[in-house]
Amino acid sequence: MQTIILQNLSKTYSGGRQAVRQISLALDPGEVYGFLGPNGAGKTTTVKLLNGTLTPSGGSCRVYGIDPSAEPAKAHAHTGVVTEHAQMYDNLTGIENLLFYASVFGLSPSDSRTRAAALLRQLDLKDAADKKLSAYSTGMRQRLSLARALIHRPEVLFLDEPTSGLDPESAQNVNQMIRDLAETEGITVFLCTHQLRYAQEVCTRYGLIDEGRLLASGTLHELQKAIMPELPLIVRAEHMPHRLPFQQAGGENIYQASIRTEDEIPSLVRQIIEGGGDVYSVEVKHPSLEEIYFTLTRDRKRTENAEKTPGIQQAREEGKERTI
Amino acid sequence: MNHAITAVIKKDFRGITANRRLFLSLLIVPIVLTVFLPGMFITIAHFMPEDEDLQMLLELLPRSSWASTMELTVTGLIFNNILPVFFLMIPIMASSIMAASSFVGEKEKHTLETLLYSPLTLGQIFQAKILASFLMSMTVSLISFVVMLTVVELEVFLLMGTLLLPSANWPVILLLLSPAVSMIAVTLIVRGSAKAQSVEESQQGAVFMIIPVLLLIVGQFTGVLLVSLWILLGLSLLCVLLALFLLKKAAGRFTYEMLLQ
Ligand SMILES: Nc1ncnc2c1ncn2[C@@H]1O[C@H](COP(=O)(O)OP(=O)(O)OP(=O)(O)O)[C@@H](O)[C@H]1O
Ligand SMILES: [Mg+2]
Repeated sequence: MQTIILQNLSKTYSGGRQAVRQISLALDPGEVYGFLGPNGAGKTTTVKLLNGTLTPSGGSCRVYGIDPSAEPAKAHAHTGVVTEHAQMYDNLTGIENLLFYASVFGLSPSDSRTRAAALLRQLDLKDAADKKLSAYSTGMRQRLSLARALIHRPEVLFLDEPTSGLDPESAQNVNQMIRDLAETEGITVFLCTHQLRYAQEVCTRYGLIDEGRLLASGTLHELQKAIMPELPLIVRAEHMPHRLPFQQAGGENIYQASIRTEDEIPSLVRQIIEGGGDVYSVEVKHPSLEEIYFTLTRDRKRTENAEKTPGIQQAREEGKERTI
Repeated sequence: MNHAITAVIKKDFRGITANRRLFLSLLIVPIVLTVFLPGMFITIAHFMPEDEDLQMLLELLPRSSWASTMELTVTGLIFNNILPVFFLMIPIMASSIMAASSFVGEKEKHTLETLLYSPLTLGQIFQAKILASFLMSMTVSLISFVVMLTVVELEVFLLMGTLLLPSANWPVILLLLSPAVSMIAVTLIVRGSAKAQSVEESQQGAVFMIIPVLLLIVGQFTGVLLVSLWILLGLSLLCVLLALFLLKKAAGRFTYEMLLQ
């Protein structure tokens, strides 16, 4: 069964702001989906739609087979949510908070205790368990939020910026935990973030969103093929034959060519050798998620500008006609 | 009752008792109304000079409220007809303090959103919030009653050498009218506070609840409204029905979206 399904999901806020436009996608159990986009792209809005705290203005969505806008409470029994605005009680300690949410989610007292203790240990909060939350740092709060979201063993986990306040070590620890949960327990993770490097470490698939539109979706490989179809091939060689499609790049004896697939490499290398060149190293530069993301957003800006200009010219011409 | 709802109620109770400022403001009104005012009234009744006008006024009263001396008649009147009205004020005050902070407090501290992601429906969250405020106000008002009874009986015994007998007004007020009025106040304030953006704003809304009770007190003092037991009983039952209706409709047409604004 697909755990998260969006069909043409749209949301227009009462002020007229179209925060989410016609997004469709489906996630399988065990997937970690990185939902990436700049500020105001519509990520948090999508998470709220998927949790039923907002009602879609168009399209529909299903989480674990339940329509969250129709039966939010039922859907929440299967989901865990971490968002920056979902805080816990400052006047309670870490463990008291967890036990409170455990009982709200219907766990038995003994189960709650073992579960809370295990999560505090996993998230490195054991020493802080009996401290009041008012004495927690931002990073500790975020880790406790993750523990809170996992307390009832949810099948679907929504994470909105879960690592933004964490130090690199904790972030890595949390990422490892998320990946383990997805791999061993088959939890579906919907992860919104700006930290593209961390995203690349944990996610199995990505969606790039801007101004409410899903611009691209797929694995790193699929995105690369769609957005940056040409891969740079870097060759270090002496006596490079001139007629080959290589260009000098950077230092001496470093050459670069663009290829579409790795299948092109053997024949290119053969041609260098046959033309009298000596090859020392051959390397394909796979773009990082960051590079793909920037290429995509840059391309978009360019096409937008291109769209705007003809409009202006047309308006001018119309103006001219009238004066004549 | 639902396990999860009980958990929310317990948590809200702790939230109040752990907050010293809130807890003190919860206690100050009951202390004034159950210790100072009754003490003062009885002292005045004791040291009041024998006055003919007052004597004539008292003779207008039904025979059932006459006691052996004028002093005891006045004290009995205060005890059975004026003090019970305080037990409408106490639960309204107590519940408004708690109810006002229940939604808005959670909104301000960003804990409401977390609660909304729980498997409780909006209706259940409203019910939990209402019950917590209601139980708190009933606890405060029962403790206040015990304190007041002790203070009044002790003072009357020391000054006049006898004890007062509570009239039938007391059980009707304490067990019917006061819980019903407090439930009405709580549901209205919780609904209002769900919309309000700050604790102050929602407490201002609560002030309106006090006005009818103040009128009742003024009425009692001036003798315009010497409510008979049957009218009191009927009024109480009406309030109970209204309270139950409001409790059922508590969540009303609220949506998550309205609460998170
Ligand atoms: N309650 C609201 N009412 C009106 N407009 C809103 C509301 N919440 C968000 N928006 C608008 O919707 C758009 C998407 O917001 P959203 O919070 O989903 O962005 P985001 O992708 O989560 O951004 P960020 O990376 O900054 O968290 C923004 O333009 C924002 O101004
Ligand atoms: Mg956001």
